[in-house]
Amino acid sequence: MATATTEKPIDAHDDHEHHPTAKTYWITFLALLILTAVEVAWSYLGLSGPALVVPLLLMMVVKFLIVGGVFMHLQTDLKVLNGYWFTLTFGTAVVLAVCVYIIVFAAFRWDI
Amino acid sequence: MSDITVEDIEAAGTEGAAKIEDAAVDHDEVDGHGAHEEHYTSLGLSNMKLAMWLFLGSECLLFGALISTYLLSKTRFIIELVAGNPDVIAGISDGENGELVQEMIDQQSVEPFFDIPFTSLSSFILLMSSLTMVLAHKAVSEGNYKNLRIWLSTTLLLGATFMAGQVYEFTVFYKEGLTYNGSLFGTAFYTLTGFHGAHVTGGLIMLGSLLLLSFKGKMQQDRAETVELVGLYWHFVDIVWVLIFTIVYLIP
Amino acid sequence: MAIIEEPRALPSGEGPAKVEKPLGGFSRPRNPSGIKDWLTTVDHKKIGIMYGTAAMFFLLWGGVPALLLRLQLARPNQGLLSGDAYNQIFTMHGTVMIFLVVMPIGAAFANYLLPLQVGARDVAFPRINAFSFWVFLAGGLMLNSSWFLGGGADGGWFNYAPNNGISYSPSTGIDFWNVGLLIVGFGSLTGSINLITTVLNMRAPGMTWMRLPIFTWMTLVTQFLLLFAIPVLTVAQLLLLFDRKFDGNFFNVQQGADPLLWQHLFWIFGHPEVYLMILPAFGIVSEVIPAFARKPIFGYPFMVFSGIAIGFMGWGVWAHHMFVSGIGPLSVTAFSVATMFIAVPTGVKILNWLATLWGGKLILNTAMLFAIGLVTQFTLGGLSGVTHAIAPSDTQQTDTYYIVAHFHYVLFGGALFGFYSGLYFWWPKAFGYKLNEKIGKFNFWSMIVGFNLTFGPMHILGLQGMPRRMQTYDVSQGFSTWNMVATIGSFILGFATLSVLYNALVSYNAWRRAGRPDVGPDPWDARALEWSIQSPVPEHNFDTTPTVTSLDDFWHRKYQEDDDGTIRRVATGKDIAQPGERGNVHLPAPSYWPIFLAFSLPVIGYGLIYSLWLCIPGALLVVIAMYGWSLEPADDLDDDGHHEPEAELVGANV
Repeated sequence: MATATTEKPIDAHDDHEHHPTAKTYWITFLALLILTAVEVAWSYLGLSGPALVVPLLLMMVVKFLIVGGVFMHLQTDLKVLNGYWFTLTFGTAVVLAVCVYIIVFAAFRWDI
Repeated sequence: MSDITVEDIEAAGTEGAAKIEDAAVDHDEVDGHGAHEEHYTSLGLSNMKLAMWLFLGSECLLFGALISTYLLSKTRFIIELVAGNPDVIAGISDGENGELVQEMIDQQSVEPFFDIPFTSLSSFILLMSSLTMVLAHKAVSEGNYKNLRIWLSTTLLLGATFMAGQVYEFTVFYKEGLTYNGSLFGTAFYTLTGFHGAHVTGGLIMLGSLLLLSFKGKMQQDRAETVELVGLYWHFVDIVWVLIFTIVYLIP
Repeated sequence: MAIIEEPRALPSGEGPAKVEKPLGGFSRPRNPSGIKDWLTTVDHKKIGIMYGTAAMFFLLWGGVPALLLRLQLARPNQGLLSGDAYNQIFTMHGTVMIFLVVMPIGAAFANYLLPLQVGARDVAFPRINAFSFWVFLAGGLMLNSSWFLGGGADGGWFNYAPNNGISYSPSTGIDFWNVGLLIVGFGSLTGSINLITTVLNMRAPGMTWMRLPIFTWMTLVTQFLLLFAIPVLTVAQLLLLFDRKFDGNFFNVQQGADPLLWQHLFWIFGHPEVYLMILPAFGIVSEVIPAFARKPIFGYPFMVFSGIAIGFMGWGVWAHHMFVSGIGPLSVTAFSVATMFIAVPTGVKILNWLATLWGGKLILNTAMLFAIGLVTQFTLGGLSGVTHAIAPSDTQQTDTYYIVAHFHYVLFGGALFGFYSGLYFWWPKAFGYKLNEKIGKFNFWSMIVGFNLTFGPMHILGLQGMPRRMQTYDVSQGFSTWNMVATIGSFILGFATLSVLYNALVSYNAWRRAGRPDVGPDPWDARALEWSIQSPVPEHNFDTTPTVTSLDDFWHRKYQEDDDGTIRRVATGKDIAQPGERGNVHLPAPSYWPIFLAFSLPVIGYGLIYSLWLCIPGALLVVIAMYGWSLEPADDLDDDGHHEPEAELVGANV
């Protein structure tokens, strides 16, 4: 992990040229909107079991990634020097939370 | 104004010296009083933004615990409904309960309670507010204060609408007989969505403060980061709603 | 809750360019002195000392009741304490020791040392740092106020559901426990965010990851554990709060709830908690042993990565506290294996300390003795820990005194011995004089004897089948002898633990009578950056931000290798230490808001317990404090956020 401190400091306020354009934001919003619509529609199809749950969860994850990546600038921050630290800290928390709580859920639901 | 002492150079030897020179240059920028906003940090990232992400990481564990508590409680509740546990049924139906509670008992599912079109509209509103929030940040970082105020107000308004929707939903549920302490499902549902609501309210207070500062002319381009930080929090609350909407409402 | 604070440059200023007093008496105080200085300080060193002082107070506060427990158990069938009092005392003893002693001592060392070890002038957010301390103190005092308001919590430090419900524990004790710890947790959370940001972002030029002192590394891991573990406890306690105060059903079995949820949530927090108590002590020992073995730490990268590994694996072992709670066979197996694995990185650390000691020119002073004490006593505790990892064996040991013996060996023999080692080691750095070695050695030897006399017999008692949390026992059960031994040991231990305070007093007086001689910047000929500045540490830490070129940079500036390969001293610490001249360094100004905000929270807390109406003024105070905090003029910036060179020069003279 070579985070040499001698590198030129990046001005955190000055990186908005890396940030997406307004157009990108609108397109992102449209994508979110469409995904939500598909989600709702899917829940009305009368499916049950994994056929219902798995696509819904997948779409949820995609929405999560889109909001985090574009609106919260995680994706563009990756291009900033050391910007991966944001993704690293947040990502660690998300992975930790998902793993831990899935184990708890499994221990309860299926009595493993 | 170099901060490097002779000892430093000697200790570093010749190959280190060049590196130290580099550091000295940078360091001048740190102390460089003229340099605009050039705060020296070892990662080159803003302290506040890093702190905000750490806080949000912590919040992940918080909402993770709340969501899993909800899921477990709801599962237990339905298991008891299916088993026909008289205590559980007596808890939710106190004689004058509405249709929805009766439907819930008959269908042995919490599905009848959820008004999907209504909640979809709420979700849409919250997603929309995320868009306007990010546009507000864009506006302030471009120095467009008029747009900043427009987008901040819109965000505030959309957030408030979402909260109004939640209050309305709670009222309907309560009138139908789903009380906080009547059933495990009620406790878990109100706690999870209430917690999210509390976070939205906190966000609204921050947005209102930003708007106030902006009208006072104190929210200038060089403080765009403050808007971004509030934005990060706001988007996080939105993300949590994305999870809650799918896990709580769409997968009953 | 985001607390908006200006991003601060390393050299912060004192005194704003324009004297703004928008808040009248609440604007930032200038150069306060006496008690006001301590109440409003944002200096990480003073905050560290306050953390340590408060923790020592709570050590007495939680320790003396423990002696009462031992008195009660000294002989069979004693009636010194009623069952109810006994329950309250052991619950509060555990809670106080864990949350208000071991955790804050770790925070004390972290606060004092992290900025010094990474070469920073302060932590990233000095005001939040002050807030973290005050909120810990406010929560701790509130938690303990239950003693005077109807009795303490009585469900064990983990307060299992449904035992913690209103029907089984109708007194307000558990409410105080609940709300008090919520408030304390808030301080831990803000503190962890602050310290992580400091280590990640405030390192001096050249202080790369693999040059950080081990103490800094271990504390970083600790703070990440806190960051992610505290919210889980927060949720568990909020659920309990809602159950108790608003009649919720989370742990209400009658409504179909499964109270095992509490155990899961509590131990998801609780096991990382165990590691976040011990890791700072590991860090301290990793600084002390190289200094007094006159050798660099053996296997630096292994020390670092084993610490990180412990941090991660600490998240996958929580259910080993629940082997007898009826979780399924797969869970038991998986958690059993994971628990055995976590012994590996811990073993790596023990091995590395031993290898550091091996062949070193050992200087067996008090700090070193305590460090070696940790290595030995913690290893004993670790070995009994491995027996818990084996589920069938654990089934026999759960809820017996064997467990009590185990966790006292790792927490007292591990964490507290490490902290005492650090106390003796860094005392001259913080206060300018060394602690008396004679009393120090007495302190160590009496402590280690008392400790083993107290907790050693508990292994035997546990294996004999004596259950923990038992108020008394019968003579026919055969527990009498060892209980008596443990009680005698506990009193030796009690006095031994206190002798450090006597030592401080004696050493201070001797130093004062000798005319306060300068102990020098580097009294131990040690290795890390904090020894390259004067003792006690000047308010501004570093005259100039150091530039780091290697691991143990300071040591390498004192010792260099000759052409023939022998290491020779080229300078003393005194020669190369920074002289402690403040020059044009600007420091963050003190502030009233941290303590104001911190002590607003218990108002809400008491409101939750007694009357919700009290929450309204409490919340109002919080809102006022938050606005006051964020609108407070940043110390060294004018309105636009620019530095004004002339103003700073003026400011330096304020």
